[in-house]
Amino acid sequence: MPRSVVNVKAVVMQGLAVLVICAIIEIIAGNFLEKLKESLTVTIPVLIVMIPPLLALRGNINGALASRLGTALHTGVIEAKISFSGELKTNLTASLILSFLASATIGILSAVVGALVGKTVNFASILGIAIIAGMVSGIILAVLTVVIAVTSFRKGWDPDNITAPLMATIGDLVTMVSIFLVVIVGA
Amino acid sequence: MAVYSVRRILWESYPILVVAAFISLSAGLILDSQIESIKAIPLILWMIIPLNGINNNVCSILGSRLTSALHMGTVAKFRGDKVLGRNMRATWLMSFGVFWFTSGIFFGVSLIAGMDVFRALLLMFAFFAASMVAIAVTMFCTIALAFISFRKGLDPDNVVIPVVTSIGDVVGVLCLIIAVKLIMGV
Repeated sequence: MPRSVVNVKAVVMQGLAVLVICAIIEIIAGNFLEKLKESLTVTIPVLIVMIPPLLALRGNINGALASRLGTALHTGVIEAKISFSGELKTNLTASLILSFLASATIGILSAVVGALVGKTVNFASILGIAIIAGMVSGIILAVLTVVIAVTSFRKGWDPDNITAPLMATIGDLVTMVSIFLVVIVGA
Repeated sequence: MAVYSVRRILWESYPILVVAAFISLSAGLILDSQIESIKAIPLILWMIIPLNGINNNVCSILGSRLTSALHMGTVAKFRGDKVLGRNMRATWLMSFGVFWFTSGIFFGVSLIAGMDVFRALLLMFAFFAASMVAIAVTMFCTIALAFISFRKGLDPDNVVIPVVTSIGDVVGVLCLIIAVKLIMGV
């Protein structure tokens, strides 16, 4: 047994390795946002307002899904193989419905707040971008979350220190690429 | 009897997601109000996602470690606690390392984007300063929320992490905008 409950050096070394990988993925995600600078600053007003909430939403829904799956795997409610069983189906269905409802809410809130601060808002395109990007990234990430939760359970990765940050970071990248594609295709 | 129900997951998650969305939306509004600075230095857009993403990761790790420690009874109170102190030190050291790494990459990116060496150095310093202040503020919020949620019996995964990451978004955007404005003068 280590003498102290928290071994600072071990926590820092393990954490840093994960964080550097996450930082590289986040920098790639950031590059996609920078590529949208014309749309963000000129052509689509209010788009920039909903970038932080859409990214946060992805992290929150999939973080919660990952932690529910982690608990279910540890308690044996879901088996550690990829099959579409009853409990897994319930969790995935709930996450996708949540994605739709919350993405639409963010689109509406952003448009309304944007209009309140005096912007000319194209309500349809803001709502469209929010829902389509939200659902596309939601579906991709639901699948990825299941794969990563099962993998990390099998390999014994620490859910707090490895799985959660990895999920949040991959979520940022997938969401950013989805927003990028929807804006580019829509424009 | 099913363990999970779609209705229950929706009912428990939707309200907190909307609260988190509202907080993150103010980060978006701050960005929107600074559109002229962003036009002058579009790299702000590139920087904001890594800054918020890493800040959220570091503080989520701290948040989960603290809530686990609270439930196991190894952390009991705010002041003079070794476990809390060690967790804070570990968090601080990790942030220091990962943000130096990220700042270095942004120095390279600024040079490639055609900035001169002096301004690229200034921008790198602005990013590093912003991330350190953001981490300090968000860390404080994380510790406070972890203790409050433990005392009130709120679920750490479903409440503490979403609220902490959304507060982190606002803090990160504010720090980056202020640092870039002060140091780069845009």
